[in-house]
Amino acid sequence: MNPLPEFRWIAVCAAAFVAALLLLPWVGPGPISWEAVLAKQSPDYPILVELRLSRTLLGLLVGGALALAGALFQAMLRDSLATPYTLGVSAGASLGAILALAFRLPAVLGLPATWMGALAGAALVLFLVAAVSQQQGQLSSVRLLLTGISLNGVCSAFILLIHSVAPDARSLSITHWLLGNLDSISFSALGVFALVVIVVAVHLLRNARQWNLMMVGEAWAASRGASPKQLMRTGFLCGSVLTGGAIALSGPIGFVGLVIPHIVRSRFSADYRVLLPCSFLLGGALLAAADSLGRLVIAPAELPAGALMALLGGPYLVWLVRRRF
Amino acid sequence: MSESALSAHQLRFSFPGRAVLRDVSFHATGGEFLALLGSNGAGKSTLMDLLAGLRTPDAGEVRLRDRPLLTIPAAERAQLLCHLPQGVRADLPFQVEQIVLMGRYAQADRWMESAADVDAVHAALARADCLALRHRHFSTLSGGERQRVLLAACLAQQARVLLMDEPSTFLDLEQQLHCFRLLKEEASAGALCIAVTHDLNLALAHCSRILVLRGNALEADMPVSEAWNRQDWMRWFSPQLRVETTASGQRWVAYR
Repeated sequence: MNPLPEFRWIAVCAAAFVAALLLLPWVGPGPISWEAVLAKQSPDYPILVELRLSRTLLGLLVGGALALAGALFQAMLRDSLATPYTLGVSAGASLGAILALAFRLPAVLGLPATWMGALAGAALVLFLVAAVSQQQGQLSSVRLLLTGISLNGVCSAFILLIHSVAPDARSLSITHWLLGNLDSISFSALGVFALVVIVVAVHLLRNARQWNLMMVGEAWAASRGASPKQLMRTGFLCGSVLTGGAIALSGPIGFVGLVIPHIVRSRFSADYRVLLPCSFLLGGALLAAADSLGRLVIAPAELPAGALMALLGGPYLVWLVRRRF
Repeated sequence: MSESALSAHQLRFSFPGRAVLRDVSFHATGGEFLALLGSNGAGKSTLMDLLAGLRTPDAGEVRLRDRPLLTIPAAERAQLLCHLPQGVRADLPFQVEQIVLMGRYAQADRWMESAADVDAVHAALARADCLALRHRHFSTLSGGERQRVLLAACLAQQARVLLMDEPSTFLDLEQQLHCFRLLKEEASAGALCIAVTHDLNLALAHCSRILVLRGNALEADMPVSEAWNRQDWMRWFSPQLRVETTASGQRWVAYR
């Protein structure tokens, strides 16, 4: 055995990702026949391609983006409990998106206002959490989590406030959004999001060795030849884009960013050259699978993917905390 | 100018509301092994951070090979100079080998390390006497074992200036001697080593020069021969210290 990264784990995770992509669109309350799809017959063909395939792709991308963001925050802040959810970044993104929904803000540059709102909310909370948790240039993980939890609470309070004063119709759309739903979306919106996620993921992966150094500490990274300040700046930008984008499309979905990087780190490798791609692939597969499961368990009603992830992730977090403290 | 000349010019540094260093100046070159001594809170680690370029002084500057240290790009600086921190998080999720491999970052600025990097990692692990630990998880090591692994990571970096902040902390006696012998070897091979320590005997037996920080200033900067003779500086640490000679004629700092 040698210390170089073991890339076979990426192949394992890629297999799970591809399997999810190929199999999950067939899962759902109504059966779909092969023959009808191949003949492009209605309703089987449009159900599979326009509804279920786009929804599976969205799950794969959102789950991947959230898991990547989790892995990134854990290196930036050197804490395995740092995730978009626990840091309050998800709540910030939600508040931004809900403000956009409630005030019916217009689209910017062809992108829906919820995207911009979520992005701004995510960036603002991330900046606040990091600024408040600095102590003589060091990030304190206790401060970090306490600040994250506080901001999470403040953002949730504002969300409740907006929710209660908004007119009924908009209040309903806010409720629906808050449950963390994967809905079928247009392939063009998917394409934009996929492009953003790919650009960010490739950028992070190129700096994977620097993120390894950051995981040990900023001073360690600096004296091994990395540039922590520059890394932190790009990290903040990438983390906001990933979280904001994912939440704008799906609503607040927690725990993917916590559970997935942790599983990859403890089972496969802590080397970011393996951790980043594996987190993306597994995170996507897990969320898409959770969404498909949510379509089945209480069919014909649907259990939102966000709710299902919380049901699975909550106990996992408790277990993690029990082992750690 | 020597390949590994490092100099401090009128360094001044303070934390908010608390002056830590004022007007610290010295010059050192390759082949020297300096011990940096001082009581707790004297500013030793802060000075080491300034020398490594990890903090920016309020006034004055550090020069490496006659270039201002802070103008040297991070990757190039790490090829020339290495800093051993006083400690890192104990619960790092990495294997020992992966930590030591990180020392190769500046030497192999590629996405992937080569077989030569792996060889350098194994050589460094062997020199720091922890090759047997290489597949262990860092979080399962004892304090002394962790310290040796960090030392190995520094050796793997193959820099010519080694700034060691308390390299012998947590080490057992045999390993303390091994560590200081190792640094002396590096200095004999032309490197410049600066080590922070609280063990006066370890410093006097292995180093070539003694620096003492006291009351925010560099109060003493002397060759070891002078340090043995002056002795007044020992009283800064404790009034109970004095030099005694063993039966075999070896001098020794004893306390009573």
